[in-house]
Amino acid sequence: MSDRKPLFSSSRRQLLKGLGLATLFPAISACTATGTSQASAGRVVVIGGGFGGATAAKYIKRGNPAIDVTLVEPNKTFYTCPFSNLVLAGERTLDSIGHSYDELSQVYGVKVVHALAQDIDPVAKRVSLSDGQTLQYDKLLLSPGIDMRWNAIEGYDEAASALAPHAWKAGPQTLLLRQQLEAMADGDTFIMSVPGNPFRCPPGPYERASLVAHYLKTYKPRSKILILDGKDNFSKQGLFTAGWEAHYGDMIEWVSLSNDGRVVRVDANRKEVETEFGTRHQAAALNVIPPQKAGFIADRAGVTDASGWVPVDPVTFESTQQKDIYVVGDATIASPMPKSGFAANAQGKVAASAIVASFAGISPQDPIWANTCYSLINPDYGISVAAVYRVQENQIISVEGAGGLSASDAPDMIRRSEAAYAVGWYNAISQDTWGTKL
Amino acid sequence: MSRSILPHKHSLHKLLLATFFVGMASIVHADEIPQAQVSLMAGTCANCHGTDGQLAGAIPAIAGRPATVLEAQLLAFKQGLQPNTTVMDRIAKGFTDAELSALADYFANINKD
Repeated sequence: MSDRKPLFSSSRRQLLKGLGLATLFPAISACTATGTSQASAGRVVVIGGGFGGATAAKYIKRGNPAIDVTLVEPNKTFYTCPFSNLVLAGERTLDSIGHSYDELSQVYGVKVVHALAQDIDPVAKRVSLSDGQTLQYDKLLLSPGIDMRWNAIEGYDEAASALAPHAWKAGPQTLLLRQQLEAMADGDTFIMSVPGNPFRCPPGPYERASLVAHYLKTYKPRSKILILDGKDNFSKQGLFTAGWEAHYGDMIEWVSLSNDGRVVRVDANRKEVETEFGTRHQAAALNVIPPQKAGFIADRAGVTDASGWVPVDPVTFESTQQKDIYVVGDATIASPMPKSGFAANAQGKVAASAIVASFAGISPQDPIWANTCYSLINPDYGISVAAVYRVQENQIISVEGAGGLSASDAPDMIRRSEAAYAVGWYNAISQDTWGTKL
Repeated sequence: MSRSILPHKHSLHKLLLATFFVGMASIVHADEIPQAQVSLMAGTCANCHGTDGQLAGAIPAIAGRPATVLEAQLLAFKQGLQPNTTVMDRIAKGFTDAELSALADYFANINKD
């Protein structure tokens, strides 16, 4: 691949110079006798090959190719949650949202190990893998994503998710829910149970309702969508509700927490849910998005707090609880940044830069991030929310006067542009994270 | 950032002080922002424009375009002067003029594939 032609030439010497590090490594290739052609400038193990981890691995190597980077990820193909709602709607194949690790291993020289990281010893700085290997690190970067809180809703455990899928990790769960939607008869009801905050991808459930409505409107127009919600308001709410009304009439009904929207019990066999005040609802297709927490390996590393999420230093994304362990993505407490693929990618770059700087003995840079999050009401009607984030007094802040929502009175032409840009964004972030050419 | 020190209903003294700092902020030149910081800041652009701003599609590539063109475009976004903008106006408003200028230089200096 020839498109890796960043600021720095391929020569390591010039690359270090580009970072202002050349003087710190006067004779880097002569300082050890490991028998390898390239002396290691440090060992990094990255756990999790999603938006955060894959990006961090790539950008550490771009920052300093002499750093030894190993990426641990059980799956050979990563399926993204972004655009998985289009798969549910029958507008895309699962393959079209799958990404490989070829660029990382072949272009950037990342060692990719397809195994599950099972345990971490933060004192000995060792990771044990499901294949029996142990990996030693100087710096560990976790991008563990989310785990479901099984049984937080009575009756909803892993076994139940095989009958009433969450589809909140893309892959087989996405296909399972798609099959249920395809099996619906015209006039049937699709029910979604949506958790309270915080959870992965705040606007995701509402985009899902939109795109399922797009499918049902075409094939099963008498059907209904019932969203039972554990909160009283949601991301881009005004834009979503206006879009629903304009495109789907009364097909989508949203029930807020205050109107008895919170699901407390699931009977996956009967596809039935019960809400807080005892109302029962029966579905033909049932999607339960349960409450969540940081992926379990974060617990094993000792970086989670009582909330189940991971507090981090906002400048470096190093854990506030364990030295030399950096955590990015949905697992972190980084509000006001959302739990999104975009944010995970952006945080991955910030942590990568901090790790490269730390090995070089220099201070990390203050990060500035922009975030744009697109949602589709239908494949030709897009809306977005944007923000610019900085660190001020050791807090991540959303810059006032910047960002915000798409205009509520935007003409159709703008909605069409935003739908096209949503695809452009997906292609770009897939290329930036995994090198996928779409 | 100058924005955070702008008071709403304060004495003339503080207003003058604020004006002074706003003046200070505006004379930070693009070339005074450390290159490592610019590079980190530019990382966020790749989320939509591809690694190094190279990817062309619905969203245009930005690598290798003249710095003056990129800077003028970014400032037009920031000032709301670009008609039919979807999101770049909302994003450009979060950066200082000097930062936008530094980003324009950064992407102008990347070879276009």
